[in-house]
Amino acid sequence: MDKDAPAKAIIVVALVAVVCSSLVSAAVVLLRPIQLNNQLLERSRNIMQLTGLVEPGQALDDANMLALFKSLDIRIVDIDKGEFDDSLDPHTFDQRRAAGDPNYRVSVPAAQDLAKLGTRSRFAAIYLVWKDGQLRRIILPIRGAGMWSMLYGYLALEADFNTVAAASFYEQTETPGLGDQITRPDWLAKWRGRKVYDDLGDPVFAVGPGRIAPDSPAAEHRVDALTGATITGDAVTSLVYYWLGPHGFKPLLNRLREQPPTQAATAATGDS
Amino acid sequence: MSLKQTVTTPLLKENPLTRNVLGVCAALAITNSLTSSLIMSVAMTTVLVISNATVSLIRHHLPSSVRLIVQITIIASAVTVIDQFLTAYLPAAASTLSVYISLIVTNCIVLGRAETCAMNTGVGRSVLDALGNGLGYSAILIIVSTIRELFGNGSLMGVKILELARDGGWFQPNEMLMLAPSAFFIIGFIVWGIRSWKPEQREQPEFKPLVAPREVEGQ
Repeated sequence: MDKDAPAKAIIVVALVAVVCSSLVSAAVVLLRPIQLNNQLLERSRNIMQLTGLVEPGQALDDANMLALFKSLDIRIVDIDKGEFDDSLDPHTFDQRRAAGDPNYRVSVPAAQDLAKLGTRSRFAAIYLVWKDGQLRRIILPIRGAGMWSMLYGYLALEADFNTVAAASFYEQTETPGLGDQITRPDWLAKWRGRKVYDDLGDPVFAVGPGRIAPDSPAAEHRVDALTGATITGDAVTSLVYYWLGPHGFKPLLNRLREQPPTQAATAATGDS
Repeated sequence: MSLKQTVTTPLLKENPLTRNVLGVCAALAITNSLTSSLIMSVAMTTVLVISNATVSLIRHHLPSSVRLIVQITIIASAVTVIDQFLTAYLPAAASTLSVYISLIVTNCIVLGRAETCAMNTGVGRSVLDALGNGLGYSAILIIVSTIRELFGNGSLMGVKILELARDGGWFQPNEMLMLAPSAFFIIGFIVWGIRSWKPEQREQPEFKPLVAPREVEGQ
C-alpha cells in the first residue's frame, strides 16, 4: 500500500495508539500497588514525626514505624458537632473519599470557604498523642487550595489546643523551588510555639508578611513568609484560618478544653 | 560519520543545549540540585533512546501527514511509563522533580532528534545519536547543577560540603543561585565560553544592518 495513502495513515495511527496505550496502562496498573504503599508509608512517617514520639534524627525502619503508627489513638470527629463519633471505623475511614461522597460531604458556605474547598467531609480522622497517661498533642488534618494544587497537611497542637507543636504538608504540587518551599523542614520548624488563637479565641495564625522578627509582638502568631511563594503562603494562612475556625475544628477544640478527652483503653500508651 | 562520531559529536560540537539552545526550560527548573539533575539526565537519555529507536523502526511505514502526531504519541508514552517507574521506586526524587519529568514530552530535543535523525536513519545509528544527545544534555545539566547546588546551598547531592553561615559556618551562599534565572546566566556563560573557544559554533547574523540608507526611487 502507498505509504501516504489515507487508509495507511489511519491504520498506522490506530496501531501506534493501541500499542502505546497498552504499555502505559500496563505500567500504571502494575506499579500502582507499589506507589500506594509508598504513599501510605510516607504519610504514616509524616504523622509519626508530628507526634513528637520519634526524635527528628532517629532512624526508624518501615516495620517499626508502622508498628508505632498503628498504636496511635485515632478518633473520628463529627466536625460540625465538635464531638467524637464512634459509629465509623477510624482505621478504614477515608476522609478524602468522604469529601466527595454524597452521604458524608457537606458544602462549605462561600463566605466561610477560605480554603477554597467547595465541599468537605462531615467527619475527620484526628490523632491523640498520649505519653505517660497524659495528652501531649492533637493532630488535625488540614487542606486547602494553593496556587496550582490542593495542599494536604497536618497541624499538631500541644495539649493547650492553642500552641503549634509541629506541622507538615505531605501532598502538594506547587511550583518547584517556590511554592513547594512549604515542605521545607526548617521553615515548618518555625511554626513550633506559635499560638493559633488570640485572647478572644479567634484564629490568627498567619504566614508573613515578610520576615517576622523573633522578638516582635507579631512573632507570637506568625511565621516568616517564603520568598517567591506569596500566593501559596497566603493559601496556607487561609486554610489554617478555616480549619481552626467555627466551620473547622474550633467547636471540637472548645469542647475538649471543657471536657478533656480520656485515653481509650484499647489504645497503646505510647510511652514505649 | 563514523559510529563513534555519532555519539561524540553531540557532546560538544553539536551539543543540543549549548549549540542548538534547545531544552532550556527544564535545564533552568531542575538544576538547583545535583540529584534532580542526575535523575533528569537518566530519564531524558532513556526517553531519547526509546523514542529514536521506535521511530526509526517504523519510519518506512510512517505517512508524512501524521508523522509528528505518531512521534509525540511514542514520546509521551515513554515519558509516562518512566514517570510511573520513578513514583514507584524513587518516590522522594519523583516528588521533587514533580511536573518536570512529564514535561520531557515537550522538550524540543526529543522531537528534534526523532524528526531529523530517526526518520532518516537506521535503528543502530539512531540509538547512538540519541545516546550522544542525551549525554551531551546531561553533561551541561550536571555542570550547571554542581555550580548551583555547591555555591547556592553549600552541598552536593544533599551532602553538606561548605559550612553555611546561617548554620554557624563560614560560607555565605549566593541565594540567587537557588532561583531559576541563575541557570540562565550560567548556561549563557557556558555558551559564551564554548563559542569563544570554537568560533565555528558562532551563528551568522540572520539580518545585516543597513550601512547607509537606501536611495528611494523617484525622489
